[in-house]
Amino acid sequence: MRKQIAIVEDEPALRENYAAALARQGYQIKTYGNRRSAMQAFDTHLPDLAIIDISLEDEAEGGFDLCRDLRALSAEIPIIFLTARDSELDAVSGLRLGADDFLTKDVSLPHLAARVAALFRRIDALRRPDNAAQVVRRGALSIDGEKMQATWNGAPVVLSLTEFWIVHALARNPGHVKNRQQLMDAANVVLDDNTITSHVKRVRRKFQQIDSAFDAIQTVYGMGYRWVE
Amino acid sequence: MSIRFQLLIIALTTLVLPWAGCQYARELETTLRVSQENSLQAAAATIANALSAQPQRVFRDVEDREAFNANQGDLYAFSLHNQPLLDGYREDWDLAVGPKALPTAGTLGARLQAGFTERYLFIYLEVDDPTFNPEPSDVHPEQDRFDRVNLTLQRPEGALESYFFATGAPGLIEAQSVVKSDDGIDHAALEPRIQAFWLQMSRGYHLEVRIPRSLMGPRLWVEAIDGAGGGKAGFMGAETLRGGRVFLTTPGLNELLATFIGPGTRATVIDTNGLKLGLAGSLTLNKEDDQREAGGTWYRRFVAGDTSHWPLQVSAPDHIEGQSVAGALAGHRSAEWLRADPSQASLLSAAAPLLVGGQTLGAVVLEQAGDQLLELRDRALIHLFNLTLLATALAVAIAFGVATWISVRIGRLRLAADTAVTNDGRIRLDMPESDRADEIGALSRGFERLLARLNEHTQYLRTLGGKLSHELRTPLTIVRSSLDNLESEGVRADQRGYVTRAREGVLRLQSILSALGAASRVEESIKQAERVNFDLNDLLQSAVAGYRDGFRAARIEIDAPPDACFMHGAPDLIVQMLDKLVENAVDFCTASGTITVRLTRALSNYELAVSNDGPPIPPGMLNRLFESLFEHRQGVDDKPHFGLGLYIVRLIAEFHGGAVLAANRSDGDGAIFTAILPLI
Repeated sequence: MRKQIAIVEDEPALRENYAAALARQGYQIKTYGNRRSAMQAFDTHLPDLAIIDISLEDEAEGGFDLCRDLRALSAEIPIIFLTARDSELDAVSGLRLGADDFLTKDVSLPHLAARVAALFRRIDALRRPDNAAQVVRRGALSIDGEKMQATWNGAPVVLSLTEFWIVHALARNPGHVKNRQQLMDAANVVLDDNTITSHVKRVRRKFQQIDSAFDAIQTVYGMGYRWVE
Repeated sequence: MSIRFQLLIIALTTLVLPWAGCQYARELETTLRVSQENSLQAAAATIANALSAQPQRVFRDVEDREAFNANQGDLYAFSLHNQPLLDGYREDWDLAVGPKALPTAGTLGARLQAGFTERYLFIYLEVDDPTFNPEPSDVHPEQDRFDRVNLTLQRPEGALESYFFATGAPGLIEAQSVVKSDDGIDHAALEPRIQAFWLQMSRGYHLEVRIPRSLMGPRLWVEAIDGAGGGKAGFMGAETLRGGRVFLTTPGLNELLATFIGPGTRATVIDTNGLKLGLAGSLTLNKEDDQREAGGTWYRRFVAGDTSHWPLQVSAPDHIEGQSVAGALAGHRSAEWLRADPSQASLLSAAAPLLVGGQTLGAVVLEQAGDQLLELRDRALIHLFNLTLLATALAVAIAFGVATWISVRIGRLRLAADTAVTNDGRIRLDMPESDRADEIGALSRGFERLLARLNEHTQYLRTLGGKLSHELRTPLTIVRSSLDNLESEGVRADQRGYVTRAREGVLRLQSILSALGAASRVEESIKQAERVNFDLNDLLQSAVAGYRDGFRAARIEIDAPPDACFMHGAPDLIVQMLDKLVENAVDFCTASGTITVRLTRALSNYELAVSNDGPPIPPGMLNRLFESLFEHRQGVDDKPHFGLGLYIVRLIAEFHGGAVLAANRSDGDGAIFTAILPLI
């Protein structure tokens, strides 16, 4: 059965472009222009994945409310936030609304498709028994590439997909400096330097919430970041 | 011309007050003069009327209407203040005029003067007769040739009496008269009541004669005879009763006059020839400068009427002249302003005719010092002057104070306006004086409104980049996602070029938007920045290594201390700042030039300097380089520049409590940008 993706986006042109690109990947697309129509539809039928714009028509943060309501309906459905502004990324991550990824609208369609695919893959992986081969361990860190989950000292670290891919790229080759471009490639995003910096900062903070002594991601100024054990 | 000066000049126009005061004082003076003239004339007329009722108390002989005629031997006797010594000298007579020459027959010269006191008539005679011919002891007046002086008196009862003065030995002598003795021979008899002093000098002799007035009638003739036959001098009109009248102050007239006048006034009664018949009172003439305070004369310089055209007073002891006298003798009252002779003090002379039986027999002349008026005027004037000067000074001081206050306020406003836009492009909105209700306050508020508008505009410009980059993002995303779709749908090979070009255009647009929004993103991240302790030296080393990687064409050198340089701050922001500085240096560096990143540690801060070889910065731009949206690149390159790079540098430096400076290198071949970062 084809996976159904709901796109909630008030800009019709973008909506149609996203829909076309994802439909080409074989997904079934439902598009909504505002929170009410989307929520009405979700009440009767849940999609397999939702891509939600944060500001919806007259509701500047309507996407947040929609996300919260959707999460209440289903704990498992993958949700991707799309934002027009970089600064909203911080707000979103601060709100911990249970979204799986946060993207700026700069993301290219192939990148979007890639992470949609990744999220579906993760759903599948979570349903399968553990596959130890996919687990990479680096000291206190263990990352499951398939389920796209990371733990630190055994405690799960809740990372968005972009964040997970950044950690994954760094931890796979400890000691190697990954510059920003490499991190972007790994995370399937095109971001400016500042946004990468704030992503890394957020990742650090999430680890530090578990272990305040966390110091494994090192900044190499002018070059990038590296994982140290 | 400053406001202070302008108001000062306006205030000085109050000097018209003292000027008006002067005009007023002049008019006052004129009025006072006229009234003084009138009152003095009236007083003179009153006295004249009173005197004409009793002419016998005025005139020697009321019936004698014949005018004084010195040429006929009429003699004016001066009133003498002191009884003179009978010594042949007239110095003790204390008269300003000398004796009058007598008509002479032959070569004998003689001069005569008469004076009187209450009891005596004095006669003084100078005779130019160098050879002394003494009187023989047994004199025969008819035959003997000796120097002598004949004196003929008309007695009060009218009889004529002849005397002569002669001596064998000069000295105190007595008058002699020729009497026929019983034997019928003329001989000289002494008249002891008439005494004289014969003073023999080398040029001649002086004879001073003292005659009791009780012996005297109205007439008297004097004749000097040279004993050596040199001739005669004098008058001898006794035979015809012609001439020889002695004019002297009428007895009692002085006292009578004195009853009419007050202090400070001099009254003189004259006859038709101007000869003084009676005199009373004295003038108190002030000397111009001596007795008055210096201030008075100083004021008078400005205001006093010119008195230099006034005639000088003719003050002879025996007579008075002048217009007023002439007018009175012509029969009408008149007055005249004079200048006293040596002192130049002003003097009012008023005269009224003395009419007896419808005929002018003389005049009463009253004289008064005009300086009383001056005093009066001066006193009023000085008061006025002081008051108006005080008022003027007050007005000037107030005007000056107000002007100073206003110009200080305007100066403050000007200074505030000059510095309202600070070097770093910020706008101070509060102006001084804006809470005042007056025009300057209104001006200040106008400035504030203007600045607020400017600030809004500047704010708008400053946020425009961020807004633009945000607003343009959605359409750009539409274009790009459409291109993505287009490529995914499959593009014909001949169309691929267009798609590629469209994608390049999108990329460029995206980088432009990114640059436009850079400042607002930095401001955003500054808000969220966390400060940590980090090694600035370490950061620098690794960042420069990165730059060497990134800008392969440039030669980047580093000059830093060997040890760690810890500071408290946001390392990510410091790196961004360094990025901008190095990018800027790379842009302006000459092809073969070097970029030097230098870190030095000072007492309380680090100095992070990035210098590059290249063209110097125009001096006027040095201060403005760090303003938002200031761009001075003139060449065209492939990157968009919005003048935000160095503004970001400033934002970051200021976030760390530091500052950033731009300068040209002292060798003139490059620019150097220095960020000063406090240690803590």
